[in-house]
Amino acid sequence: MALYNRSSILNSMIAGEPIIRVQLMIRWLRNRLKDDGSERIVPFLIAIALGFSMQGCGLVFDAVELVHPLQRDELSAICSRGQLRVGISVEPFRPFVFPAVYTDEGVRVTGLDVELIREVGDALTAYCGGQNPIVPTLQLTRFRDLFIEMNEGHLDLFVSSIGGNIPGARPVGLWYSIPYFHHGGLGAMIQQPEVAERVRAQFQQQTGSPDTLAAIQAGFSGLTVAAQKGRTSHLYAEANLKNIRLLICDSLPAAVETKDPSIDVILTNYSILDYVTKHVWPDWRLLTRNDGKPLILTQEHFSIVTAEEKRRLQWFLNNLLYRLEESGRLEQMRRRWLEETYAPTRRATTEGLPFEVSKVPEHYDQGQCRLAAER
Amino acid sequence: MCPSIGWAQAPREEIEKTAQHLATLLNVGRFVVDRNQTLINDPRIGDKGFTPEVFEHQVVDEFVHQTTIDLKHLPSHLPTLAKELLPVLLQSSKEVVGDAQFVINQRGIGFKNFVPATFASQAARKFSNRSYVKIKQTTLKPRNLKNTPDAYEESVLKRLATQPVSDTSIIEWVDNKTTLRALTPIYYSKDCLVCHGNPKGILDISGYPREGAQEGDLAGAISIQIPAKTP
Repeated sequence: MALYNRSSILNSMIAGEPIIRVQLMIRWLRNRLKDDGSERIVPFLIAIALGFSMQGCGLVFDAVELVHPLQRDELSAICSRGQLRVGISVEPFRPFVFPAVYTDEGVRVTGLDVELIREVGDALTAYCGGQNPIVPTLQLTRFRDLFIEMNEGHLDLFVSSIGGNIPGARPVGLWYSIPYFHHGGLGAMIQQPEVAERVRAQFQQQTGSPDTLAAIQAGFSGLTVAAQKGRTSHLYAEANLKNIRLLICDSLPAAVETKDPSIDVILTNYSILDYVTKHVWPDWRLLTRNDGKPLILTQEHFSIVTAEEKRRLQWFLNNLLYRLEESGRLEQMRRRWLEETYAPTRRATTEGLPFEVSKVPEHYDQGQCRLAAER
Repeated sequence: MCPSIGWAQAPREEIEKTAQHLATLLNVGRFVVDRNQTLINDPRIGDKGFTPEVFEHQVVDEFVHQTTIDLKHLPSHLPTLAKELLPVLLQSSKEVVGDAQFVINQRGIGFKNFVPATFASQAARKFSNRSYVKIKQTTLKPRNLKNTPDAYEESVLKRLATQPVSDTSIIEWVDNKTTLRALTPIYYSKDCLVCHGNPKGILDISGYPREGAQEGDLAGAISIQIPAKTP
């Protein structure tokens, strides 16, 4: 049995001082010879011999890594990289992710999700020893591409108001954290008051305890309902609303902008709708219950997403989120972004994060809506 | 990336003229951004066509209009220092417009905060990082604390605030005549008052309280520091 784990030894070699590096390599080779037999170690011996004859061993270790990919501990990798690669949706979901703006400091993005990313970065800085800050490097990308980027290993995690508890929302190979936001759920906004009256009439006809799903199914029957592709609203509508005309939109702004066909209802997270009906699209109003309380179609919790195999990072995130919840920090963040009066541009200037401009879609286009296939 | 610019010792008049040309060029950049503000803020258009090249073309045209100097073919009578530094500031300004392309070209988003002040802050910073010349925008009531005036700037701004509107820069040699300080005043135009005018104290679109300014009031200045010789 090997005394040293290959990946941890190679990590130490790469990160350590030169002399320690050589000692570790000798120990590691000794163990490799014991365990693997001489034939299999030949490429490593050649690679390392080359390494000593060349200035700088980085290329050799890259070569070794190509032959035998290292199973790095993802937290150590983040520490040595000094960067946390975070994906974030380019489609705005105010107040979680605001559209990118220009500031005195350059291009910035802000919102509750961005503040959370800062918290993760700060916690990782402390975890990595606090000597050098772990800088969150944001990659703004289309929502659908976040999953691809993660699967291809270009991201450590992504945060974009993603429902973690919705059936069908978790692609294979991805892991969802405990909730960082669990207020509200899926809501609806409308323009015509008749739509609200239809739904409320359904509630009034009900006897006994209220049944939101039944009221929504009957109230929305025959209406044109818009949802954002791949989001909770899309999954909910496909699974539960059979007698509607479903429009699948690339983004929430695309749904609002669509005139043909005329949209009766737009579904998305209630907190997002609450913000945009007050601050962005005052022509739209929230669909509420008969008593004026929010009409929530289903509960939705937002989670941080990372790869299934990143166990240490997963525990790190869950422990951090639990601590933020315990300390009241998550609640404070929720109040700051959902209840306080503020100007997003000003917050972007003072606390927004930069992102890699070279990696964003050339011209962000909010996209369009198309009719869903017959269901 | 441009190399750092240095020089041994240029004649004082050349340094003074260079400071004026630099201030004019930064101001022209602000002017071009302001002139395209409606386009930049149009939420209906994605690709606005306000590329770094288009910006550069408009800046070059406006600079010729204001100074008769063609930035693409710098005249031989121009001070050597200006010949070195004007292209660096033009390139820095272009890069700022390039960096902002993603923000500018977002469709569906109106106000993007790419305005003369944010443009010039970044352009000045990029330029200052590449030369021994320091440029910044400054004002007595800064929204961005990095634009807070130093003691010298504060005293000149106070002086300018009491004087009639003038395009003339205040140029002085300080620190035993080892450093040139030049402040070129910027005054509020009608367009500026949307954010900086009345009602005073009410938040503007970017979230800052309006200053309650009137057209023609002193908005601030472009401040330039040039050492007489390289450190």
